[in-house]
Amino acid sequence: MEFLELLSPAFFLLAAAGAIIGIVFGAIPGMTATMAVAVCLPLTYTLGLQEGLALLLGLYVGGISGGLVPAILLNIPGTPSSITTTFDGYPMAQRGEAERALKICIVASLVGGVFSALVLFFFAPVLADFAIKFSYVEKFLMIFFALTVIASLSKNIVMGVFSGLLGVLLSLIGSYDVSDGGNGEYRLMLPFMEPYLAFGFSLLPVLIGLFGISTIIEEAEKGAKESSQEDKVNLTKGKPFRFSVFKGQVGNLLRSSSIGTFIGMLPGIGGSAASILAYTQQKNLSKQPHKMGTGEPEGLVASESANNGLTGGALIPLLSLGIPGDSTTAVLIGAFTLQGLQVGPLFIGENIDTWYSMITALMFANVVMFVVMFYAIRYIAKVVLIPKFILYPIIVMMCTVGAYAINYGIMFDVWTLFIFGVAGWIFTKIGIEVAPLVIGFILGGSAEVYFVKSLESYGEYTVLFTKSPIAMVLWGLIVLSIVVSFMIHKKSKQHSGESK
Amino acid sequence: MFDWFISLNSVTIDFDTSHQFFPRIIITLLLVLGSLILLANIRPVWRAMRSGRYQFFVRNADFFRLLVTLVLIPVYFWSMDAIGEELPNMGLGFLLASIPFVFLMSMLYCHERTRRNVTIITANAVIAPTVVWGVLYHLFLVSMP
Repeated sequence: MEFLELLSPAFFLLAAAGAIIGIVFGAIPGMTATMAVAVCLPLTYTLGLQEGLALLLGLYVGGISGGLVPAILLNIPGTPSSITTTFDGYPMAQRGEAERALKICIVASLVGGVFSALVLFFFAPVLADFAIKFSYVEKFLMIFFALTVIASLSKNIVMGVFSGLLGVLLSLIGSYDVSDGGNGEYRLMLPFMEPYLAFGFSLLPVLIGLFGISTIIEEAEKGAKESSQEDKVNLTKGKPFRFSVFKGQVGNLLRSSSIGTFIGMLPGIGGSAASILAYTQQKNLSKQPHKMGTGEPEGLVASESANNGLTGGALIPLLSLGIPGDSTTAVLIGAFTLQGLQVGPLFIGENIDTWYSMITALMFANVVMFVVMFYAIRYIAKVVLIPKFILYPIIVMMCTVGAYAINYGIMFDVWTLFIFGVAGWIFTKIGIEVAPLVIGFILGGSAEVYFVKSLESYGEYTVLFTKSPIAMVLWGLIVLSIVVSFMIHKKSKQHSGESK
Repeated sequence: MFDWFISLNSVTIDFDTSHQFFPRIIITLLLVLGSLILLANIRPVWRAMRSGRYQFFVRNADFFRLLVTLVLIPVYFWSMDAIGEELPNMGLGFLLASIPFVFLMSMLYCHERTRRNVTIITANAVIAPTVVWGVLYHLFLVSMP
């Protein structure tokens, strides 16, 4: 229990502060948990490892949870994962039951968050122990599998694969690092770029640009209009909240939390898929499916327990395999690198104290989220009214600080922010999907090292297929993910054809 | 024949050109997929563009705010660097560039420039960068231009 010595009052204070700031971010329409983590990264530069992680994990939990506030009050999902919360939350708010709806969601969020933290605690070390046995071949196939899963769940499979590969290509810009067994030569750039791009684009400015600056540009394009629905915020006119509303919802809570955690484990899919799947499942199993979507608490329970279940789930592949589960954990990987830590199969074993403190921070952040939101929801609800003209310039300013400080004062990182901000805005318009691109960018460098090393060691292509039973199982999973995705896409096309 | 098949399977990576090996594979795959996407989508996209169903910008896009945003952000970055060069090691590049930037961007996004809003914007433009500079540069020792 040596880790207890690492848990200072500052640790708990920062986890709580992270949860509160995250809630505020999540509650503002258009702001996401990813953005909260990205914007607050500069605060962690001078913090110790435990404190920095406590703050970031608090932001993650708070950011995901905060999204329920505008979903219920304004019918605008604060984060993509709150989309299904609007289905039943907003009708309840219209009936004057906004506070009841918010509190149902807060309790469901707590259950989902704690459930997924427990799964993370028990499952990640097992997966990491297993992954230690992986050679370069299996590691490469694991990355390949992650990319196929992400691509297959994109709106368009071919475009998803293209986006992932584009991310891989962007990650290869720079020198072929000697420390990775490379020859130190530059590639994929013109000679005048060599002083700036010797080590390629830095991860965090790329992520902050894609998620932060591009959102601002999108909003500017739409005119940065303020939500004109303040008058609809009515918290307590109708039925009050009672815990008895959860009577008969235990199955729903556990099932939806499990769905959220499982979806979180699959790389790059995100909370919206988790909450949609949990909501659909509940609708299929509900005694009154026709009532869902008209303001039924069971819909809220399904949606919110699933999207908070995602938090622990998305950390499982990150901490055991080094593969981020969603865009927020992709930013977290940058934070780990900043602290000199490499996530992967050896992470938990070699940093057992950090591991325990992370679980503590995650659990504590969930409790803080619950206490703060449950008892102060009336005040938090006002956050949705912060005008965009105050907020957006501050976001750009914070993004700039984060990008500049990431490598201790490189101005090119700030320009990277702008380049990828504009690129992210254009990407969404031409159908390039940002999630596979980001995962490709993060994993591209490792994919190259593992792929080239495998071939250099064995001198034949077939080793990628026949190296070990694990390799064959991974190929089976890769083929399965592609086949399943084609079937899903075919089915959804048929459905849309029938509905037309 | 069998030897030929065996030779297809074997691979030797020349160390001097090894930096090009993986990127070439990725570029080839991107070209193949890009061609597939173009072939499959060029007609429907062209038709959609001609009929007005597809447009690059959102419907009723605010080109003024978009364009000024796209100019304001790089000017902010450039001025921050320029001021930082003149007044180094104090974080003043950040502070002195951020105050006008926050003010101008807030004014740009504000739809009702009432006296109250302009006062809030002005106060925010001075207070927010100063607080961030004070806390991050002086308290947390974060690098700033």
